Amino acid sequence: MKGSLSPRTPGVLALAGAGLIAALATGRPELALIAVPFLVFGGAGLVIARAPQVTATVEPDRVRLLEGEELTATVRMRNDGADPVEVEVAPARTGQLAVSPPGTVVVRVGARSQTEIAFTLRPQRWGAHGIGPLVVRTRDALGITTWEGPLGSRVDLRAFPREERLRELVAPLRTQPFLGSHVARARAEGIEFADIRPFQVGDRVRQVNWRATARRGSLQVNQRHPEHSSDVVLLIDTFEEARDEDGGTLDAAVRTAAALARAHLGRRDRVGVVDFGGTLHWLEPAFGTTQLYRIVDALLSSNIAFSYAWRNVDSLPQRVLPPGALILVITPLLDERSIALVTDLRTRGCDLTVIEVSPLDYVAPGPTAADAIGYELWRLEREALRARLQALGIGVAVSEPGVALGPGLEEVNAFRRSAQPALRA
Amino acid sequence: MLVALAALVIVDAGAASEAAWLGAGVATLLVLAGIVAQSPAPVHAAVAVLGVMFLLRHDSRLLVAPLYGAGLLLIDDLAIRTMELSGVNRIAVDAIAARLAATIAVAAIGACLSALAALAVTAAVPRTVLLTAVGALVAVAAFVAIIVVARRRFGP
Repeated sequence: MKGSLSPRTPGVLALAGAGLIAALATGRPELALIAVPFLVFGGAGLVIARAPQVTATVEPDRVRLLEGEELTATVRMRNDGADPVEVEVAPARTGQLAVSPPGTVVVRVGARSQTEIAFTLRPQRWGAHGIGPLVVRTRDALGITTWEGPLGSRVDLRAFPREERLRELVAPLRTQPFLGSHVARARAEGIEFADIRPFQVGDRVRQVNWRATARRGSLQVNQRHPEHSSDVVLLIDTFEEARDEDGGTLDAAVRTAAALARAHLGRRDRVGVVDFGGTLHWLEPAFGTTQLYRIVDALLSSNIAFSYAWRNVDSLPQRVLPPGALILVITPLLDERSIALVTDLRTRGCDLTVIEVSPLDYVAPGPTAADAIGYELWRLEREALRARLQALGIGVAVSEPGVALGPGLEEVNAFRRSAQPALRA
Repeated sequence: MLVALAALVIVDAGAASEAAWLGAGVATLLVLAGIVAQSPAPVHAAVAVLGVMFLLRHDSRLLVAPLYGAGLLLIDDLAIRTMELSGVNRIAVDAIAARLAATIAVAAIGACLSALAALAVTAAVPRTVLLTAVGALVAVAAFVAIIVVARRRFGP
């Protein structure tokens, strides 16, 4: 910590000096007598002032939490010096981390003792947040000298997105030959009844449908759909976002992606993530809880990176988009590059669904009538774009703040059922 | 405390009570301005005004001056302390009490030393050039000592 005279000290000494000089000049001893306490105060303050031997640590009760949750961080101030010290503490923090009490806290730490201060922290947005080092100012007993500087080290917190629990998911058109929860189109061993066919050599007796056999006069066996898993790729558009002071489309996109990842992994699907924007990051599809944490960690580092670079499907490594994978594009549909990517993927025959994170809630029309007309035109353009995508056979679900995504996904499933011939073409 | 010190002067100012009233008003405004502007300079100016006001008193007893000086020091410290703690959200009570106690103790010591000086002054020693020079030398030596201590602690 760096020591200096406090701002008041030169003033106190100047008052003392002025009193003494004025007394000598005017021959009025009263002025000198009035100045003496100031002189004693300044002198005593400088003599007793010592550099503080203060150390501090920040210890949060946990480092992982959901956005909006609160945690308690305990600041431990230790004074190894021989004199008590008055300490002003203000924890440095990242912008989206609310701290209570929000400003400075003043405590007195006794000689060779320790004091604890509890701060309540609340991440207002998902992501990586940091608290510390502490900005500390100490004063001597009379406030004549101050020592200021950072103390302790930074502690990183990870706030996970608060996600919606999804009961309905987009059903993939193609499945992978691993045990899962999706009823495959193929016919093999399974639970779901598919069809009846004549008995063939090698069929098991338990597969025989005795009622159909009796009706047709020859042995008939049941065919079933197996339960398979699928590959799901969450492709998050980070080219552009609409944002206001309460949040933005990227926040909503990350929440939606986290909810979809959790739900699909819960159904034993392999899930991967692609952060497609100014910078490109990806996580290859994999199963399990570990993958969920990997995905959430990857999502926390998502941000909007401004770039003029034109990116398309060729920018992605082939292993990121496995054949037959269900691609869920989570996008505000604001950037031409992401719209081009969607149409490009569709023309390549990918199983594709767009989850539109609506930017309408973050954009308000301007005050004039022309602004209102412009806003309305923009809204209609977005509807036209949505219709164009649906004409290409792409299901579009709209995600809006405060509205459950489940019904939107159910609508997409209905759309995909009716649009199957076009999708297979 | 400011009101008490101002009243001490105004009551005894006689014909100069108007100037004393004016000085008290100016000092009050300066203290308030300093607290609002978070600047110690107006507070020190107010203390200087109150100090000069002491010369308006008719009572020539010097023993009031040390107490008056200690009172001014407390006004200065309390006003500065108000500024220091204005942006603070949580304050430990012992921090306030310890600082106030230390300031009162030092002000009391200063007042005692000042009283001793007052007794020396009232010993009816005639004012001579030599004594004035000695007084000036003592004042300068005190200041040099303080500055030396400050430079050793915090550099130039």
